[in-house]
Amino acid sequence: MHPGFFNHLLLISQFELKRFFATRKGLLSLLTFAVVWYFILLYPLRFAADMVVQGKGFMEGSSFFDFIGLSSLQHWSIAEFAVYWHFALFIFPMLSITLAADQTCSDRERGTLRFITLRSSRDSVFFGRFAGVMIIQALLISATALTTLGLVLYRDATLLSSALPNLLAITVSVVLAVLPFTAMMAALSAKVKSVRQATLWAILIWTFLAGILSILAYYLPALAFFKCLIPGYQLSDLTELSEWQTLQLAYIPLLQSLVLLAVGRWIMARQAL
Amino acid sequence: MKTPLIQCQQLSHVYSGKFALNNLNFELNAGEPIGLVGPNGAGKTTLLSILSGFLRPTSGTVRLFGYSPGAGQLIGKVSALPQDAKLDPSFTIIEQLVFYARLQGLTRQQAILEASRVLEAVTLKDIARNKPQVLSHGMAKRVAIAQALIGKPALVLLDEPTAGLDPVNVRTVRSIIAEQSSEATFVISSHDLTELDRLCQQVLLLENGILQPEHATASDQQLTTRFITLQMETCPATQVMAKFQVLAGVLQVTNPQKNEFIVAYNPDVESKMDLQLMQCINANDWHYRQLSHGKTLEEKLFFSE
Repeated sequence: MHPGFFNHLLLISQFELKRFFATRKGLLSLLTFAVVWYFILLYPLRFAADMVVQGKGFMEGSSFFDFIGLSSLQHWSIAEFAVYWHFALFIFPMLSITLAADQTCSDRERGTLRFITLRSSRDSVFFGRFAGVMIIQALLISATALTTLGLVLYRDATLLSSALPNLLAITVSVVLAVLPFTAMMAALSAKVKSVRQATLWAILIWTFLAGILSILAYYLPALAFFKCLIPGYQLSDLTELSEWQTLQLAYIPLLQSLVLLAVGRWIMARQAL
Repeated sequence: MKTPLIQCQQLSHVYSGKFALNNLNFELNAGEPIGLVGPNGAGKTTLLSILSGFLRPTSGTVRLFGYSPGAGQLIGKVSALPQDAKLDPSFTIIEQLVFYARLQGLTRQQAILEASRVLEAVTLKDIARNKPQVLSHGMAKRVAIAQALIGKPALVLLDEPTAGLDPVNVRTVRSIIAEQSSEATFVISSHDLTELDRLCQQVLLLENGILQPEHATASDQQLTTRFITLQMETCPATQVMAKFQVLAGVLQVTNPQKNEFIVAYNPDVESKMDLQLMQCINANDWHYRQLSHGKTLEEKLFFSE
């Protein structure tokens, strides 16, 4: 690690923020995301929250939310956050796969990475791009959580004091949930030639590898351990938790991210540019 | 002892079981531009990619200023024009050059000034606020050269700097290199031997991944046999050769290409062979285009006996 490592990390991640928030392509992605989120907020999230508030989903015996596997919604003190939590846990990892797919692959194929690595270490580029994409996602997650808070306050402004800790817990938990997905995309992007390849590989890893490992673990239980390395391994368990409890499983995405970043760094160091 | 600019020991690189570079051993010191020539697939780009830190060698060691390529200590000291590398189409040219300058440790203000300076050096300051898509091939190449000049590096590696450029742009690139060569040592890979002949004092020849032991030098003043290359207007080649052959001191006359003659002579017998030749041309009412001392680089590298 050379003396300018952190300075380069900062400059490279700032440049990624500029790419997302100050270029035409980035702004178009941001606008698309904002429109999609607006409709999620306005319809599914608001209606589901209304149902939770009115208790319509939790009829005696078999409730609607039980039926669709969202029985844990009733454990949340604020209905909107309960619904947001379930949406966010699936939307943001998906978004992460597309948003973080092009950390280095296009620049490497175009040769732009050569101009950058003449002035900065490969580690700075790898971790700087990863940090940049994580900051963008953290900002998007925070923005969506804030809009959900707006929805809460619109319904009942007195909930502000109890909503703020929830807002913090939920934001941290969702950011942690996307961390290993972003790390996986960083590693894939360091190896493959295009965004499409990175996305395809991510889907293959996420679906087929998990399936294959499950089948193999049935015959050889020791292999079940490797399933915990697949990003999203903890997501179904997370949906059962609420508020600050969601951080109980934080060690899983953190460990996954460390392993995936170590693999990505190894690939990046050896890759021809 | 002064650290060599570039030091390669037993350097090899293998692509799919085939040697792109095979056991290269050489040292280069700072000074005049150094040429790197060789046929297609000889390993020039591979060598420059390894020196730039884009590629890890299969075996052997490489040191630039005593450090491995890509080391943090080389930032700002070593720069390169990679072959076919393009700027990011999402950002303007100035934004990217400022970013590169900042990575080299310049403050924001210094980086803006430096980016403007290098664009000025390649006479492209007007397009600073454009995106790379609007650049022609020649302009893109000059911008890529501009990025290589950021921060006044001590060593600049240029891979085919004039490939695909029109004569005007070739001339511009040549003047940029000539102007900057007092401050930096350039290593230039090119197929244009006339170009290298004009710019370089030392030329390395790579063939099939092997560095040829004889490095061509521009001067042959120390040799006992000297050469003069003559470009003639249309003339009777057989007569010209016959007349030149009988001049005192002439050892051999060859006609490698149409209207081009290479005269080998002994300077101890006739030191002013150029005057002898011009008198002979004048006496026979022939016309010459160019007379130059020594062989062309092409002759030295590829057709010397």
